[in-house]
Amino acid sequence: MPTLGLITGYWFDIRDLSNLSRKIYELLGDAGAPDWLIWVLSALLGTLGIISFIGAVAIVNIWVERRVVGRMQSRLGPNRLGPFGLLQPVADAIKLMQKEVLQPASAPGLIFSAAPILFTVPGIALMAVLPWGRNMTLADLDVGVLYILGMSSLAALSVFMAGYSSNSKYSLFGAMRVIAMLVSYEIPIVVALLGVVLFAGTMNLQGIVLFQETYWAPMVLLQPLAFLVYFFSVSAELNRTPADIAEAESEIVGGYHTEYSGMKFGLFYAAELINAVAVSAIIATLFLGGWWMYKLDELVPGWMIYIGKIYAVYFLFVWTRGTLPRFRIDQLLNFAWKWLTPMALINVIVVAAEVLVWEESGWSAGFFVPLYIAINNLLAGALVVLFVRVLAPKFQRFPVRPRFAPEIDVPSLPAPPLMGEPRTDLPASGAYPI
Amino acid sequence: MIADNGIVIAFWVLAATTVGCALMVAAVRELIQAVLFLALTFVGVAGIYIVLSADFVAVVQVLIYAGAVAVLMTFAVMLTPSADRRNSETAFQAPALVLAGMITAIIVFVAYDTDWPIADRAGFPATAASLGRAFLKPYVVPFEVASVLLMTAMIGAILLTKEEEEDEHA
Amino acid sequence: MPIKTEPVEVNIGPQHPSTHGVFRMVAKIDGERIVDVRMVVGYLHRSMEKLAEERTYTQNIPFTDRMDYLAAMTGNLGYCLSVEKLAGIEVPERAQYLRVIFSELQRIASHCMATGAFINDCGAWQTPVMYCFRDREKVLDLFEMTCGARLTTNYMRIGGVAFDIPDEFLPALDKLVNDELPRAFEEYDQLLVGNEIIMMRARDVGVVSPELAINASLSGPMLRSAGIAWDIRKADPYCVYDHMKFDIPIGYNGDAYDRMVIRIEEMKQSLRIIRQAMHDLPDGPHKTDVPLALRPPPGEAYSRVESPKGELGFYVVSDGGPAPYRWHVRAPSLINLSVLREMTVGQTIADAIVTLGSIDINVGELDR
Repeated sequence: MPTLGLITGYWFDIRDLSNLSRKIYELLGDAGAPDWLIWVLSALLGTLGIISFIGAVAIVNIWVERRVVGRMQSRLGPNRLGPFGLLQPVADAIKLMQKEVLQPASAPGLIFSAAPILFTVPGIALMAVLPWGRNMTLADLDVGVLYILGMSSLAALSVFMAGYSSNSKYSLFGAMRVIAMLVSYEIPIVVALLGVVLFAGTMNLQGIVLFQETYWAPMVLLQPLAFLVYFFSVSAELNRTPADIAEAESEIVGGYHTEYSGMKFGLFYAAELINAVAVSAIIATLFLGGWWMYKLDELVPGWMIYIGKIYAVYFLFVWTRGTLPRFRIDQLLNFAWKWLTPMALINVIVVAAEVLVWEESGWSAGFFVPLYIAINNLLAGALVVLFVRVLAPKFQRFPVRPRFAPEIDVPSLPAPPLMGEPRTDLPASGAYPI
Repeated sequence: MIADNGIVIAFWVLAATTVGCALMVAAVRELIQAVLFLALTFVGVAGIYIVLSADFVAVVQVLIYAGAVAVLMTFAVMLTPSADRRNSETAFQAPALVLAGMITAIIVFVAYDTDWPIADRAGFPATAASLGRAFLKPYVVPFEVASVLLMTAMIGAILLTKEEEEDEHA
Repeated sequence: MPIKTEPVEVNIGPQHPSTHGVFRMVAKIDGERIVDVRMVVGYLHRSMEKLAEERTYTQNIPFTDRMDYLAAMTGNLGYCLSVEKLAGIEVPERAQYLRVIFSELQRIASHCMATGAFINDCGAWQTPVMYCFRDREKVLDLFEMTCGARLTTNYMRIGGVAFDIPDEFLPALDKLVNDELPRAFEEYDQLLVGNEIIMMRARDVGVVSPELAINASLSGPMLRSAGIAWDIRKADPYCVYDHMKFDIPIGYNGDAYDRMVIRIEEMKQSLRIIRQAMHDLPDGPHKTDVPLALRPPPGEAYSRVESPKGELGFYVVSDGGPAPYRWHVRAPSLINLSVLREMTVGQTIADAIVTLGSIDINVGELDR
């Protein structure tokens, strides 16, 4: 029995799951199975692993979200079902499954039923390219980053289909708002990831993790601006507060999923959670280093480190959800076009210059990496301060606190016009630029 | 013919899906359903690109066509009046079918009759890098012209939809 | 290049998470802008004013609980004041001080709820609601200690208050007013006042100009947000408010943000009043003896209180019998809501919801 040390190649060393799969393939090959069968089986095994993770995540995250948000609101959160309320998601699932599926009679049936499925599939398909360990990737695509972007843009279309096909005004509002927002926020996402890809030199996700391992710096240190831009624009793409205008519960009751009930709504809910986890996984891979953790990944399984990082980023999402109020739609679009896109573009320009200097000069990385960390962080801070100074709406016309009057003081006003005359004393209220 | 059986099966499945969805685009009644089938057609074409080992083009096809062009078409459908949103019976159906049949026959005939040579060189190891190098070295002028064209289109769109400055403030 | 559009009529309510009860707005919208808005009220009309004509004056006091169910004490108080004015009944000093203490505690509870619900309408996913409710619970515990009920307290009687305060009330009130609530209000100050997202959502939203406020006879925080210093407690003092020293917070712009900070400041001023009242609380009877079936002389009386929502007025007409001949309530929610159209036309739906939250209506007293 080998002692607990670095990750070995024995088949029972589950810290690197590729050992297990390699053993299975060897057994099968010795038994005489054809090549294509082993190939199909490997794909199936990997898919099985990822889908089981997704299933577990969809169940656990319901609990995590409700409990953590509850604690932030100084209340307990679900604690009745099972210890610490851990069986709450099971109860939720059973409740949704046994509900009557109400469908508006005038909704076109095909799109109405297909929209939740179309919303779920890209989220699951996204997780295929993620590297779980040094040898553990289901689909090691050379264009992994582009694949991620493609899948997220597919989700936008299905949201609109859901809202439109519900044939109700509230859902249509939600769909219109969400389409405008999703399309606007795709640009900061793409340009922010472009900065990361430029630095790493490859679009392969495993390659980016190996880049962070080689130079001993997680990308969040090297590219803080890309991380900030990506974090905010992706929380808008996920329709999470502060950008959840699409499903603003207190305004248009449900937005694009108002008319869905039963398991179809459950599928939307689960798909949102899966999308959130997929995006947290992407942030953990691209910015936080994935399964690498300063040599710790040779002791502890890489996938455990990875899952830990995923949940750390997911906690950030839940934290912003529990704390911040929501923006109006025009404020959100303003934020995307006037703040995030310019910041991302400036980031790409600066990163391209830095990469060029690094390659051309040929000096060692030990000089460039700390230098670039310092430069990029200073640049991020300076840009944020500059944007706030220049672009933030000015509220200082009036003081923040009210004033106090010790006694009654009513101004004398001219008499209002009589009935029948046109009113000249009412101001046009609420007019503001868009 | 093609060496691998898997490629043949994949190609036929994807081709059937693509052509079937394309036929449904023309055949369904509701415009929105037609747009959805068009998006599925795009995804089918992306699959065919993958069969040809063009991974970059496949992913970009999904990203741009199914992700952006389909959304654009959805917006266009939203802006048409509700009365025109159904594929109503027109007198153009018979001539259109005849024309489509003729074009299909010509293409099939030409494709069948041509002597398709097998390419001499091997596939590209990394299509994204090769494409990038091609954009910046031999084909940089078309690349720049295309980007100027896109910028002109964006500026034109903004100018066309800009509202007059209204004096709303009392 | 204009595209042909047409305005759409959308129902906001009556079943809606944000209309603070069963209240319906029919909004005609063009894109996201509201072009016209029409209110439909009456979903909660329970004909209390008619029912009151069959019951004695004392039996009508529970009705006033249920009208503005979030500010029951001030409702009770207004009604009792008008009947006392009609019948010429003197209220002992101790009862007056107790009435002041409970009115101000009720103001704190109601404003806590209003602030929490307002920020909920701004979109903050119920987190501030929970924080505000935590402090409201402490006030409601005191109510339960005194009169047994948290919400529909039914505490004031004609001629005084129903029960005298128990022994443990004053120490608990002391702890609340000097320790727990100031800390809570400081938390609100840090988190809410000057919070940029709330300012972005609520500044210049639902603006009320001073002329509009006075011409539409608004009252309460809506009037004060427009910059007009008017408070019934100072203008037409009842109970012992003329002995109390407090300030009136007024706003600058008349928008929803001003109303929110005015409510928070009013809560702090309430603490001042409660401290003064606790300090000066005299001994004595808590109620004058009033016959069970009170028959006030024929006549009419109108008296008003400053409820958390605005000026709550009670108009009672008596014909000498045990039941009032006519009873009418000037509900501040209804009057404040009459300017909804002027406030929301031109804004988006999200802003209309924020405006509605800032008016702080209570459908129980809106419809009676």
